[in-house]
Order: sequence, then C-alpha cells, then structure tokens
Amino acid sequence: MRANLQSLYRETLIEQSRNPKNNYAIEGANRQSELKNQLCGDVVTIYLSVSGDRIEEASFEAQCCSICRASASMLTTRIAGSDSLSAISLAEALIAFLNAPESDIFDKDDSLQALSGVKAFTSRIRCATLPWEAFQKAIAE
Amino acid sequence: MIENLTPPATPEVLKQARYDFPILGRTVNGKPLIYLDNAASTQKPQSVIDSINRYYSHENANIHRGVHLLSTEATAAYEAARKKLAQYLNAGDESEIIFTRGATESVNLIAHSFLEPLIKPGEEILISHMEHHANIVPWQLLAERTGGRLRVAPIDDSGNLELDACLSMMGPKTKLVAIVHVSNAIGTVNPIEAIIAKARENGIATLIDCAQSIQHMPLDVQSMGCDFAVFSGHKMFGPTGIGGLYGKRSLLDKMRPYQGGGDMISHVKFDGTAFKEPPSRFEAGTPHIAGAIGLGVALDYIESIGRETICEYESQLIEYAVNRLRSCQGVEIVGNPEHRSGAISFIMESAHPHDIGTILDTEGVAIRTGHHCCEPLMNRFGISATARASIAFYNNSDDIDALVDSLAKVRALFG
Repeated sequence: MRANLQSLYRETLIEQSRNPKNNYAIEGANRQSELKNQLCGDVVTIYLSVSGDRIEEASFEAQCCSICRASASMLTTRIAGSDSLSAISLAEALIAFLNAPESDIFDKDDSLQALSGVKAFTSRIRCATLPWEAFQKAIAE
Repeated sequence: MIENLTPPATPEVLKQARYDFPILGRTVNGKPLIYLDNAASTQKPQSVIDSINRYYSHENANIHRGVHLLSTEATAAYEAARKKLAQYLNAGDESEIIFTRGATESVNLIAHSFLEPLIKPGEEILISHMEHHANIVPWQLLAERTGGRLRVAPIDDSGNLELDACLSMMGPKTKLVAIVHVSNAIGTVNPIEAIIAKARENGIATLIDCAQSIQHMPLDVQSMGCDFAVFSGHKMFGPTGIGGLYGKRSLLDKMRPYQGGGDMISHVKFDGTAFKEPPSRFEAGTPHIAGAIGLGVALDYIESIGRETICEYESQLIEYAVNRLRSCQGVEIVGNPEHRSGAISFIMESAHPHDIGTILDTEGVAIRTGHHCCEPLMNRFGISATARASIAFYNNSDDIDALVDSLAKVRALFG
C-alpha cells in the first residue's frame, strides 16, 4: 500500500483531532486505564462509567498526536451507550483490521474507516490503536 | 533581532564528501533523501562499507592466539583500529581504549567495574537534567544495588546547565560526575572544562558522554582531563554495534572485569582465575572485529576531511538552521543554549511532532520525533515530545531549506 498523506490525514480525522469529543476525565469513573506508547511517549487515559453490561459514559485524556486523539474521540463516541461485549468485539476487530495490511474485512461504510490510512504508515498504526488498547485494558479490570 | 539568513558556503571538500555516502543518493517516497537524523545514527561512507566487505572477504578469522596468517592479520587490523582511536582522542596510551557495543555499554561497564566497588551507601553520583537515559538508568540501577544516591544538576529555561549549581553539588560525598558533552535532544554544549576542573580539585572521578560531540568537534582527552569518555561508532560514520570508552590507565588497572570469558584471562584454574591487563580485561569473548575495523576506517575518513573544517562548517550550518526555523511561522525551538552543536529540537502549535515527522517523511525529509531518550528533559520543558533535526558535515543549506519548505506542508494541513 502506498504511503498517502491525504488518505492518512482525512478531513474527518483532522476535524476530530482539533475538536475531539469526550476529552475529559469522568469523575467517579468505575473503570480507568492509562496506556503509553513506549515508542514515542504518547499517553492516553480512557475513563468508563459502566453499569451492568452497559457502558453509560466513555471519555479520554491524552498527550498525543492527531491520529491518536481522533481515534480516542471516535472510540469514546462509538462505545458510549453500547453494551460491553459488542464494544469489546469492535475493539478487537478494529485493531486486527488496522494491523493487517491487506485486510478489508471492516465495514466499508463504517466511520472508523477514517483511521484506515495508517495501514500504509507502519510506524503510525499504534497511534490509532492505542486508545482502543487502553479501552481493552480498562474494561478487563 | 535581525537574523542572518545567508546560507553558509560549503567548502569544496565537503561538497565532494556528500558523494562518498551512497545512501544519500537514494530517494524516499519518490523524493531525494534529506537526511537530518544524524544524532540518532550517521550514514556510512563507501570506504567504511568496503572495509567490512574486505574484512569478511579476505581477512576474517578470530583474533589473538591464532598462529595462522588470517588470524594474525585480523588481530593486527583490530589492534590498529584501537590505536587509531587512541590517536584520535589523544589518549596517553592505546591500552586506555576499550571496545564496547557503544556508549550505553561503556557507561554500564564503568558503573559495574569502576564505581560499584567504590561507592558506599549515601555517597553520590552527579548527573545533569539533560542526560540521555543511557547516562541515567545505569546509575539508578547502581544506586539501588549499593544504597548510593543519584543527584541531578539543574538546567535553565534555555537549556543551559546551571553551572554554579552543578559545581556546588560536588561535595565530599560525590564519587562520580557523569555529564553529557553535547545534548542529543537540544544540542547544548556543556562547559565540561569547568566541571572537570572542580571535580579534580575535589578528587571526584569524571565521565563525559561524548556520543554527540566526538563526530562534531576535535576532542583531546588529556587536555580535557576527564577520567572516562564514552562514545558510539555508528554516530561517527562507523558501523552499528561498536563503540568504546577511554579510561585513564591508572584507573583501569584497579578496575574489576566487566564480563567473564575468553580473551580476558591470563590463566584459569578452578580455584581461581587471573585476569589480563587492560584493555583485554574488559573485552571478554570474541569482539565485533569487523565493526572495530570499520570504525577505524571511519576515523581515517573524518581525518581526511579535517575535524577543524567539520567543526567550523557545522557551526555555521546549525546557526543557519536555527535562524531559518526561528523565522518559520508556527515553529517554536525548544532550548536556546549559549553554545549549540548538531541538533535542534522544535515543536509546532498546530501539529504534534509525530504528525510533523510523518509529513516530512513523505517529502523525503528524515527527522526524529519523540522524547529522544530524554524524558526528564522533556518534562523539564513541560512537553512529551519534540521534532528534532540533526546535522552532519555532509548536510548543506539546501537540506535545511528542504526542511523549512516541508514545514509549510505541515501548516497547510494542520493550520
């Protein structure tokens, strides 16, 4: 896959990184996990308010690049209000999709496709997956 | 302030030198490679590449102890490289040069063999706030093992060492001062002369991390007066996996071995082993022979250009780079040291360093982004990462212009 800057930095991604949603700490979150990308030092913290099987609220704080920030914004938007199991499946599927260069198993119309530009930039894949990995860690607690 | 934006003239010898580095002729993402990541690793001249090929094609054999011709030749070539390093650094004797895998292993060797047997609980190791992790973590580990204490000399907001504070931290408890000569992250050149002088007055041992100075300026360990100096070969146009240290022979003589094994013993019995004299005592096992030979050829190459020529030209080029980046909209340089060599770190308000690095890469411009193995330094400036451009003598003002032009693309995308 050719390294394509336009494909990496799609408008929706730039927009989400400039104006991220859910960029705050949930007071009294009952699940919380911080994850660091050792390669670059970026840090993301995911906060969850979980009630039974349902994720009532999801948010994040981060010191990170545009891709990571946009990804965290998309993650928290997507999983808030959903049940834990489907959020866990989604995280697994997205991480697998982004790490497989030729895979197109992910729904073509899914808004998370905005992250797929990283597949051509090996060193940036982790930027997109970091918030999702932090979520996996938080929900497993 | 009016900045001087006139590009420095490249001396003829350096114009030609660029062609000695085959990798500088390649393209990256369809663009000519602009290599500005020299603080991480420098490129290799053809003569170094050829020397490794020649060694494995014609001379390869294990060194020392062999009676056959190949072993004799390999031993001579390996020891000749040591001699070249001794001359390059003006060491008093070639036995004062120990080959290691690089600066990191050199620091670990000094920690294990020199300081650990000496330091007592409560005694101190003094470093600075701008050290590379390689000159922090080995001392932390040593402090944990021994009850020693790591102390950190502060730096100011411009990235200069606070010299008076540093000097005042040297006291009766200080056993070693380990200071970086040139900061890999922000390019600060430290006043090591004053530090070494004060340490010597107080009988404190000194280690200078020369990983980012040895390729940029003439170094003379005898006139510096330090007890130890460490360096990496791959940052000075040599192969990876080879580097070394300079240590005063009087200290090396008293030091215990680093690793045990072949080639470092004078005789072995089950009830006790006697060790060789330095430098062999510290070089257990078969060393990186090809690497040492390649490093020797890299020194020849540097000398063929002239270290004064390199130092003078690079100081003009780095000043040009600083001035161009200063006049670049949206760019903030991290650290404004009084004396700078080699590297410039910067950040942009609109884009994270990794985004800058990726966009520059698509333009063929290779820089480094991240914490540069200096997390405490990053924390001191309240940031987690920077973008860093670092030069070598084969860079020129066109490379700096390409960097600045590429930053316009970052602004176009991120505003």
